[in-house]
Amino acid sequence: MIAREKLNELRAKFGPAIQRADLPSDGRLFVFIEPSVVKDVCAHIFRDLDARYVISIGADDRPSSGKFMVAHNFAFDREHLLASVLTYLPAENPKLDSISDVVPAANWAEREIRDLVGIEPVGHRYLKRLVLPDGWPDGLHPLRKDFAWNQVPEGFDEDREFKFDEPPEGCTVVPFGPFHPTLDEPAHFRLYVEGEMVRGCEYRGFMVHRGIEKLAELVLTYNEIPLMAERICGICGCVHNVTYAQAVENAIALRPPPRAEYIRTIMLEIERLHSHLLWVGLACHIVGFDTLFMQSFRIREPVMWIAEKITGNRKTYALCVIGGVRWDIAPEMKAELRAVLDKLEAEWTPVVAAVLKDKNIQKRTRDVGVADRRLVKEMGLIGPVARAAGADMDCRRDHPYAAYDRVEFDVITADGADVWSRVVVRAKEVFESIKIIRQCLEKMEPGPLQAEIRDELPVGRLGMSSVEAPRGESHHFVITGENNRPRRWRVRAPTYQNLQGVPAMIKDQQLADMTISLGSIDPCFSCTDRLETIDLRTKAVKVWSQEELRILTRRAKT
Amino acid sequence: MNPIWPILGGFLNVAAVLLIAPFCEGVLRKVTAIIQSRKGPPIWQPYFDLLKLLGKEDIESGESPLMQRFAVYLSLATVLTLACLIPMGFPAPMNGAGDALLLIYLLTLVGVCTLLAGLAAGSTYSLLGTSREMMAMIALEPLFAVAIVIGAVKTGSFRLDTVLNGSVYGAGLPLSGLIMLAVMILSFQAFVQRVPFDIAEAETEIMEGALMEYSGPKLALFKYAQMAKLVIYSGLFVTLFVPWGNGLVFPLGWLVFWAKVLVLVLLVTLVAATHARYRIDQAIRYFAGLLAVAVGALVLASYGL
Repeated sequence: MIAREKLNELRAKFGPAIQRADLPSDGRLFVFIEPSVVKDVCAHIFRDLDARYVISIGADDRPSSGKFMVAHNFAFDREHLLASVLTYLPAENPKLDSISDVVPAANWAEREIRDLVGIEPVGHRYLKRLVLPDGWPDGLHPLRKDFAWNQVPEGFDEDREFKFDEPPEGCTVVPFGPFHPTLDEPAHFRLYVEGEMVRGCEYRGFMVHRGIEKLAELVLTYNEIPLMAERICGICGCVHNVTYAQAVENAIALRPPPRAEYIRTIMLEIERLHSHLLWVGLACHIVGFDTLFMQSFRIREPVMWIAEKITGNRKTYALCVIGGVRWDIAPEMKAELRAVLDKLEAEWTPVVAAVLKDKNIQKRTRDVGVADRRLVKEMGLIGPVARAAGADMDCRRDHPYAAYDRVEFDVITADGADVWSRVVVRAKEVFESIKIIRQCLEKMEPGPLQAEIRDELPVGRLGMSSVEAPRGESHHFVITGENNRPRRWRVRAPTYQNLQGVPAMIKDQQLADMTISLGSIDPCFSCTDRLETIDLRTKAVKVWSQEELRILTRRAKT
Repeated sequence: MNPIWPILGGFLNVAAVLLIAPFCEGVLRKVTAIIQSRKGPPIWQPYFDLLKLLGKEDIESGESPLMQRFAVYLSLATVLTLACLIPMGFPAPMNGAGDALLLIYLLTLVGVCTLLAGLAAGSTYSLLGTSREMMAMIALEPLFAVAIVIGAVKTGSFRLDTVLNGSVYGAGLPLSGLIMLAVMILSFQAFVQRVPFDIAEAETEIMEGALMEYSGPKLALFKYAQMAKLVIYSGLFVTLFVPWGNGLVFPLGWLVFWAKVLVLVLLVTLVAATHARYRIDQAIRYFAGLLAVAVGALVLASYGL
């Protein structure tokens, strides 16, 4: 009982400050502690016990307990344990010691809690807004329960420009984004450049934050949320779909039938296949090697077709319901999927062989965008970025879910810690995915697709799930609630952590390496913006202004 | 000599360059597409592209629209002037109008036009493109100059027709000529600014650099100048290093010349399709190495080797 062991260790060190604990299963630990010891407990877990920081969650629990709640989640990868340190805060003027001194990776999460829930991280060194725009009025926090989901507050100055930090002496500012050919989605890096060297940067993102978590708490129901969850990301949507379903299943201790678990595994790996092939292509495009870009897209296309055949869509598979899946994989589909895998393997093998020998690509990617083991630990970097630095972590093996405990595969690592190692890791992971899907097809037994749920789901249970997305660990945290929907649902996409490592990765290297360094984490922001309409009869062109679009979208919503 | 001939020949060269340049670009695109398992655009697409851009609204933008316009005109004009100075299947039409030094100046002027364009746009990205272009020019332009000077050393003359006729070899195949040939082949991709040396306009890094504020007719003319540049540089390369067969009687020599240019374009395509872009510091180091070798060749040439 590893969870019990960890709990005893904490009890021995912190004694009565540990109020109570939940050990729902062997892979999960929820510890409720006094607010005063949060920083010490987190420091102990992060430093002495060498756990990996996952995410911090703030929740407005006033309707049920009259208090606010904060959870800091950690992962013990080698011991296969996800642990959550929870504490309750008073309803009036909630504040909590910041842990970002001892756990630098918590920087964003604490700022997000401050913006959205209004819990002040005391002692945080960089208290700039993260999610809310600068024009948002003070003292209003969208994720509080007394804030309506469609409320636009009085005095919200939507056109207020961001207030940026002063660039360091002797540096010019190169604005990178919000729109740039290599950014698929809006995000703004203000680069401080000296000649061609990048000396630092300021990041402003969250320009298209869609408030999906708020919708889930107030509008959607348990089985509607997966459809919304997969729209969080256009590339690894299925990951969020599955992670959410698993987090809820974890909270209510429900196990989907084996066939559903195999189908989830297959779809997740299909998603990894297309995502990695896409990434290798894009990375080549970024460094100007368009031939390989075109070839990997050609090789990738049949993967999209087979996904469409199985689920009806190239993307947004609408795969999960709580307790199972929607789509079955019919016997003839199995044969077709096998054929696709064979062809993919036959075509990808020579490409990888050619890339691994190519000196030209190595010249642009070796020792570029370095994220070493120390940065991985401090910033909580995950996925191929961490594995390329030799950090042997992979949620599929460390926190097994779906059918990953029944298949064999290798966790690919490299030790260059640079962009090149990330290329190598991703290129090789394609073969592991193929291997996993083949084993699933082999081992899958006929059976039901969904577990039967007779009663309403229990209220107030905690659940969490980590899924290895193509970009790294995607982590969801759920508190079940009334009215057939969760009370709180927190999504932590892998880019949330990896992006925090980017400023360190691009510092003191050439501006030309900026795009490939950023590209190497496979960033995933998210998009929607203005549009232009043309009246076909009169040929009149109308460009919609920001204000008009705003009115249009608000009208559509209500 | 009848003064009508240089003018007529000049027109013929300019017309040939203007007509053939988009075709070469079309071949380049088509072959790239085939290498990339794509169908690719029709071979005539560059002509349509130019026509399309020429028909668009002429937008004034950037810091200094006047300089922006001037840079385009100067760029295309310089390239077309170069066309009059290079023998293309028959002796250079404007032979007497200048010497080899003029040729070197004009080649540099083409690069200067890009600098002007970048300065005119005045945005951070175009200035980055400009600084990269400048660095590349400083390291790169001397190479062609050295090649021409080697020719001048071999023939003892700066006259265009004597320098530009495979003169780097003088009589026979001397070491310096062969070294220079190798240097030029290795740097040719950079002269015509294709991958891996399209650093100054790298779309995915600095969004076309100097060209970022260009659109419509001005962009068309700049693109036209770039296409023509590919042909001109190929032509220069052919006259300097592979002159054999150019001296045949008119239609035959002319055809041989353009066939050789096309082969060179195919070579450029092949290299561009199989490489990733270098970083500016990597490129400069590469050029510097080549320049050292080229200067060595010049020394050899002056000793008659």
